[in-house]
Amino acid sequence: MKRRTFVLSALGGAGLLVVGWGVAPQRSRLGKPEDFAGSQGEIALNGWIRITAQGRVVMAMPRAEMGQGVHTALPMLVADELDMPLEWVSTETAGPQSIYGNVAMFVESLPFHPRSTQPGQETVAARTGQWLVGKLARELGLSVTGGSSSVTDAWEPVRLAAATARAQLVAAAAQRWGVPAAEVQVLNGALQHGARRAHLGELAEAAVRIQPEHVRPKTAAQRKLIGQAALRRDVPAKVRGQAVFGIDVRPPGLLFAAVRMAPVLGGGVGALRNEAEVLRMPGVQKCLRLGAHGGATAGVAVVAQTTWHALRAVQALDVQWQAPADDQGQPRPPQALADSDRILQALVREAREGDGGTTFHSRGDAAQAEAQAHHQIEATYQAPYLAHATMEPMNGTALLQDGRLTLWLPTQVPSQVRKLAAKAAGVDEEHVVLHVTLLGGGFGRRLEVDYVLQAVEAAQAMPGRPVQILWPREEDTTHDFYRPASAAHLRASWGADWDSAGAVGAVGVRPQSLRIHSAGDAITPRWMARTLPALAGPVDMPDKTAMEGLFDQPYAIAHQHMRHAATRNEVPVGFWRSVGHSHHAFFIESFIDEMAAESKADPVAFRLSLLADMPRHAAVLRLAADKAGWGAPLAAGRARGVALHESFGSIVAQVAEVALENGAPRVHRVVVAVDCGTVVNPDIVAQQMESGVIFGLTAALHGRIDVKGGMVQQKSFPDYPLLGLAQSPVIETHIVPSSLPPTGVGEPGTPPIAPAVANALFALTGKRLRALPLRLG
Amino acid sequence: MDLHINGKTHPVRDDQVAPDMPLLWALRDVLHLTGTKFGCGIGACGACTVHVDGQAVRSCVMPLSAVQGREVRTIEGLASPAGLHALQTAWIAQQVPQCGYCQSGMLMAAADLLARHPQPTDAQIDEAIANLCRCGTYPRVRAAIHAAARAQGAAAVPAPQVLR
Repeated sequence: MKRRTFVLSALGGAGLLVVGWGVAPQRSRLGKPEDFAGSQGEIALNGWIRITAQGRVVMAMPRAEMGQGVHTALPMLVADELDMPLEWVSTETAGPQSIYGNVAMFVESLPFHPRSTQPGQETVAARTGQWLVGKLARELGLSVTGGSSSVTDAWEPVRLAAATARAQLVAAAAQRWGVPAAEVQVLNGALQHGARRAHLGELAEAAVRIQPEHVRPKTAAQRKLIGQAALRRDVPAKVRGQAVFGIDVRPPGLLFAAVRMAPVLGGGVGALRNEAEVLRMPGVQKCLRLGAHGGATAGVAVVAQTTWHALRAVQALDVQWQAPADDQGQPRPPQALADSDRILQALVREAREGDGGTTFHSRGDAAQAEAQAHHQIEATYQAPYLAHATMEPMNGTALLQDGRLTLWLPTQVPSQVRKLAAKAAGVDEEHVVLHVTLLGGGFGRRLEVDYVLQAVEAAQAMPGRPVQILWPREEDTTHDFYRPASAAHLRASWGADWDSAGAVGAVGVRPQSLRIHSAGDAITPRWMARTLPALAGPVDMPDKTAMEGLFDQPYAIAHQHMRHAATRNEVPVGFWRSVGHSHHAFFIESFIDEMAAESKADPVAFRLSLLADMPRHAAVLRLAADKAGWGAPLAAGRARGVALHESFGSIVAQVAEVALENGAPRVHRVVVAVDCGTVVNPDIVAQQMESGVIFGLTAALHGRIDVKGGMVQQKSFPDYPLLGLAQSPVIETHIVPSSLPPTGVGEPGTPPIAPAVANALFALTGKRLRALPLRLG
Repeated sequence: MDLHINGKTHPVRDDQVAPDMPLLWALRDVLHLTGTKFGCGIGACGACTVHVDGQAVRSCVMPLSAVQGREVRTIEGLASPAGLHALQTAWIAQQVPQCGYCQSGMLMAAADLLARHPQPTDAQIDEAIANLCRCGTYPRVRAAIHAAARAQGAAAVPAPQVLR
């Protein structure tokens, strides 16, 4: 038994003794009516569902809408279960109770190989680990929108909450009418028996007192709304300019503050040399120093009557910035500060020559196989730091008044925000009122709390007045928590089969070993220290994100050794849409393409030959290839490339059709196939695939953050460009039907596009590009 | 000074604004018309796009002094009392927005394009819509502009008579 397996089994056994398997985990997340108490006339039936006097439903919404459609998908679960029109379900920010915590995200963060966690075929170790972490996550109740987990996580508890409410309402109607509950129907959001009809509001009060038993959500065959392309609930307000993002809240008496951080990461703030002069500028109320909150860099802010007055003043402020200090407290010279070129060179060296790190996966004997190999190839891949560049720059609004802290925030981490903001403001957590606004993009950036704590600090400086802090675009780009720079060295070998190459046709020669050594900063421990300090340990636990998408590749290769060296550099790193997968898919799926090319195989046929025991992966790959017309002739000057990647429980294949325009890659068409389990809303799935492709294309073709002398060099869109409309490909999405529980869609569309494009460029030019962003010559 | 926005005149006091204040901030922070967004402050992303005398401009780099006596239209004024603009209807039908932050600017840029070219070609769309979107709504933006152009074209042509 491997050590990890043993430890988990032992822990699992102890857990069984303490709580027993019998505790139905989803039922524990139903909550009580008092968890979701509403205004007068509304009656809560559990922690998720409230019935209004008019018979409509308000649902507790623990997740942030940042474009991924969760404010439509979760109400669809409720509307379907209650057989009511989607428009009848409205949402309200959920409270701090643990029932709203995200369990699925923490379970997914376990470093198991997908071969151990295929639905219905989980190994004992995987099941035990998942059960334990699930239990722990339910206890902690951390509310996080991230890890493409919102629907996965809500699938059971939200449907169960709605089904339970339905059973209570049906029972109440049966009692009132003196008929068997089985004869009461729910039609268009109303209860009905023969000619008798009542809307939900008429029975809610009686329903509260009923405790139904044996409630089960609908079966797939009974569902009406789930699986339909229902229109998004948030779109009408967004086309009228009425949607309220963080930057749009306007509480009475609002003051505006603009922020500027020390240009050197980790630097400090010295004298404000012309503070008196700046205070005399029109509209200016106050100059502030901002601490290095939540892992950010210290800075200054100016509070004024409008953002413009604040922006002008903060630019005018003559700040004596301080360089980060060394161990002796001496300012460090620029050449000793963070340098991304130097960091990447070290990562490449570590991946090629290092022998340390954590083994994430091992099977067979890769070293032995290489020693006896008849043929080998190896290659080193690398990826740069990347910024999130949400269209809505970092901002937050806070009001500190009479011992109460009111926050209006675009945040992905409401439970941590409540805790950390309360602590920073010196108020009790129950005196924090948090309004989560819409997010003008998240992509992981708003899993951080730096800007939240700045808003609290500004509110503390202006008690009784709400203050809205805003980062200029240049601060947003230069003070992000970046996707880590990363490198990997990959080596494949073939056995005696190699000698018969040529006789094997399009599927090529089966490789016998694959060895990957990667290097890059761990993200999770740094994020834990920033946002969950109570759980941050003294040493870094192995971080799945550091090697996800590399160690867990699906291909049947007998001998594998997958190792990652977690580094710790000064550039702050964070979760960036699809996290480790974002660059690891590029490494592995490009290298698989190299292996196919090396054995003169067709890239699709080669992959399929290694996926005989992974039928879901094979089906996704086949669907993408079929729909893209793989193998059919293309216009001159165009080529196709393919990539297949599983992330966040979903499997995505993409075929990119690429040409060259003025020597640069131009992607004309992308065909996407996805298996994301049960589909709640196919149009939202398609939207997210389109979004993932374009987000990934920006990174593949343009994305690069450089750090020199501790300073981020790119500042705004002219030097950190995003893909534009004119360069966007046609994108089609095809969904593999599935009855498995739903898995992620917000992120899985991003990883495959970079390798699909790189592989197409190889087909087009014969040049293998092994660094992002992709540059020809 | 007076600002003419969406058909209304808004008097603003001199202590609230200044001639060199960009229109964006007068809209957002003085008049609380927050549909127009701040993205970059240098006219690069288009989130702040509004119309001045019918032409799409980047309001983050348009000083108030330059809009004196001119008519400003923002996303809040894109719909008419009779209903949504054809683009807004198409935007809903095509389910364009995701996070939605850039969409006000997208719609205003598209409205300017349709006013100049009622049936725009793909190349004209490419040229006119330089707005940035991080969610990648571009393919749907293009589809919705074409759909709105078709709907407007159909509305402009008298309905065919039904022959008995």
